[in-house]
Amino acid sequence: MRGLSIFHLDMTDAYLLTDATVVLARARAGDLTAFEQVYRAYEVPVYNLARRICRTVEDAEDVLQETFFEVCRSIGQYRGDGSLWGWIRTIAASKALMRLRRNKYRDTDEYEEDLHRAPRNDNGLRMDLEAALERLPETSRAVVWLHDVEGYTHEEIAGMMGKTVSFSKSQLARAHARLRRWLGEEPAA
Amino acid sequence: MNHLTVDQLVQLREPGLEPGVAPLRTHLDSCVACQAEAARLDQRSNRLRALAALRPARDHWPVLAGRLRAERRRRRVRSAAWMGLAAAAGFALMVMIRSARQAPEPAEQVAINEAIARSRQLEQLIHSYNPEARVTDGRTVRVAGELEDRIALVDQQLQSALQLDQRGRDAEMLGLWRQRVGLLNALVDVHLTRAGGVGY
Repeated sequence: MRGLSIFHLDMTDAYLLTDATVVLARARAGDLTAFEQVYRAYEVPVYNLARRICRTVEDAEDVLQETFFEVCRSIGQYRGDGSLWGWIRTIAASKALMRLRRNKYRDTDEYEEDLHRAPRNDNGLRMDLEAALERLPETSRAVVWLHDVEGYTHEEIAGMMGKTVSFSKSQLARAHARLRRWLGEEPAA
Repeated sequence: MNHLTVDQLVQLREPGLEPGVAPLRTHLDSCVACQAEAARLDQRSNRLRALAALRPARDHWPVLAGRLRAERRRRRVRSAAWMGLAAAAGFALMVMIRSARQAPEPAEQVAINEAIARSRQLEQLIHSYNPEARVTDGRTVRVAGELEDRIALVDQQLQSALQLDQRGRDAEMLGLWRQRVGLLNALVDVHLTRAGGVGY
């Protein structure tokens, strides 16, 4: 049990994982049952994040597996500087963004093409938020989710995506402009 | 001044004021329409945060646990092989020192050498069978893992036995090397028969 006091398990960890400190220590010692408890506690938030970023269910499932495989292999390196969920979430976000890059989705190009196309008359579509979010290009959706929901800063998002801070900011603004239009939230002219 | 764009409203939400943002802030403070738009932006973010969590359609733990066990097993096999080699090398060094002193080779030492040679043969057999590359059922993985754990324990004991004085050392090492051969034999059986009717 040496070194447990260095873990900074936050309220989220305590809420998701009962006896988080003890379970984590056992998982670090190689106890697979304890690791299953970690998996069960964070399975849904990791999958949710992956599904919001990735295009397909299959990609999100792969990200879920890869994330926890990595978590198990690296759990000895988790020093408890931040929350456990924060650490797992960063691994999941990186894996999901890596998957986006690997699949070579070209949503930025699509957006640039959009700019040069005649504007689509999709004002007043009044889609629901789920459908509108799903309709966003992958990069924009990833940025809006990571920033507005997961709470990452533009600097952090830029670092994970290998892009500039300005890129992250502009993707966020574009995402909101589109959501606003598709949700029918634009004020009447 | 025109109403603020979405870009500008998003920019104003960020902590810290960047250069050039002050006039935008001044406009926002005095423009009811832009304040309403900013409120809608915040509300949209809140609604995103409130979306129901998406859940995986099936349980992925069994597959993940299988991958983790396989990974662990690979590490154990590598580690056991190295420890076995180290123990054999330690014993070989002692034999060399003893030969240099021209001491007669006791029967126990001959038996130990035979056990080491047999141990190497069995390891080579397992290596050539390449269990990592084969589809294995859960029971085989478990039984093989238990045997590998016991081999690793014997290897640790062999390392400790090198520290004993000569009289106790040879007897202890002979017992341990024979135990190692027995466990490796069982491991070969497990892999070749896929745990079918293995009793050890």
